[in-house]
Amino acid sequence: MGEVIVITSGKGGVGKTTTSANLGAGLASLGDKVCLIDADIGLRNLDVVMGLENRIVYDLVDVTSGNCSFRKAMIKDKRFENLFLMPAAQTKDKTAVSPEQMRALTEEIKSEFDYVIIDCPAGIEQGFRNAISGANQAIVVTTPEVSAVRDADRIIGLLEKEDLREPKLVINRMRYQMVKHGDMMSIDDIIDILAVDLLGVVPDDEQVVISTNRGEMVVMNDSSRSGQAYRNIVRRIKGEDIPMMNLEEEGGFFRKLRQIIGLK
Amino acid sequence: MAPDLTSGNLVQFPGKGGGEPEEMMDENTVLVQRTLRSGQSIYFDGNVVIVGDVNPGGEVVATGNVVVMGYLRGVVHAGAGGNEKAAVYAFRMRPTQLRIANHITRAPDGDDNGPIVPEIARIKDGTVVIETFSSGSER
Repeated sequence: MGEVIVITSGKGGVGKTTTSANLGAGLASLGDKVCLIDADIGLRNLDVVMGLENRIVYDLVDVTSGNCSFRKAMIKDKRFENLFLMPAAQTKDKTAVSPEQMRALTEEIKSEFDYVIIDCPAGIEQGFRNAISGANQAIVVTTPEVSAVRDADRIIGLLEKEDLREPKLVINRMRYQMVKHGDMMSIDDIIDILAVDLLGVVPDDEQVVISTNRGEMVVMNDSSRSGQAYRNIVRRIKGEDIPMMNLEEEGGFFRKLRQIIGLK
Repeated sequence: MAPDLTSGNLVQFPGKGGGEPEEMMDENTVLVQRTLRSGQSIYFDGNVVIVGDVNPGGEVVATGNVVVMGYLRGVVHAGAGGNEKAAVYAFRMRPTQLRIANHITRAPDGDDNGPIVPEIARIKDGTVVIETFSSGSER
């Protein structure tokens, strides 16, 4: 039986889809059989980010409405044999699927996979409720901005209500120089408000934009810092104890970072 | 039967306009043992004690007193319905907005670099004042 992990954030544009694609590819590269589900019906992106758009024949709505089996709709990734994508429908909207259908679908899929990763749409309406209905774990993505942290807090509250307790936090697009100058929220500030376990911090990196536009995943880029951050997150998901990356030359910040990790 | 208040070591809570402890005993009190996150709210006819934080976007409304055993960053309304003797206690008092009865206050604009210590907010002479909390003889 596989783990079903939903990647969510509340606010749009913080990196849910990028995180989903990279965690999926990262887990697949370690040999796990992974299925990525794009739950953002009407605004599908995950296929584009993965460079699989031109292979879509059937989609999620075809499966939930009984037009085809889930195996038929699933697209095999071009880089990893054991990575699959269930694309969202683009011509429908969120009401085309119900939470019950999503639960039944994930229940069926997870018996054949090690990890099922659901890319959740922004917002807290039906799309969000659909995406989380079949999950048994949640990863909340935020950026170091007050609005994103506020929305993450709201989402954590809603997840707790749906019995998805102890979600893990990924802080995306961190700029250490700005934190050092006091111009950006620090990891401490964010953890202080959200009070959840930190799964990883992804630095702001041009490489993410470059590889996303090419339909590649930065996690496969060995020389990029964000790729390293995603690889570390993947290994933490698999239960390994990986220390936080030293992204700053000076010791002061890293010591602080270690303190956070030590608190857990 | 009312508990015997003359014996034992009851903590003298300030607030309720400096009432006697028994005035604190007659109302309903609810204990909330979790953090109130953005979008979550509590409305209660009586006193509310929160063991946890109230995050920005969270809201507590009580007809009596509000005690936050943590960081108060959201909106709090004590004495809703007009009880001017209600008070707000917080270990860390940094509310978005603080209301007592019909008075509405907020922190001054700009950086807050005041001390982070337990504080009490209540109405004195028609205005809301926030003071460092100390149990016992103070008031």
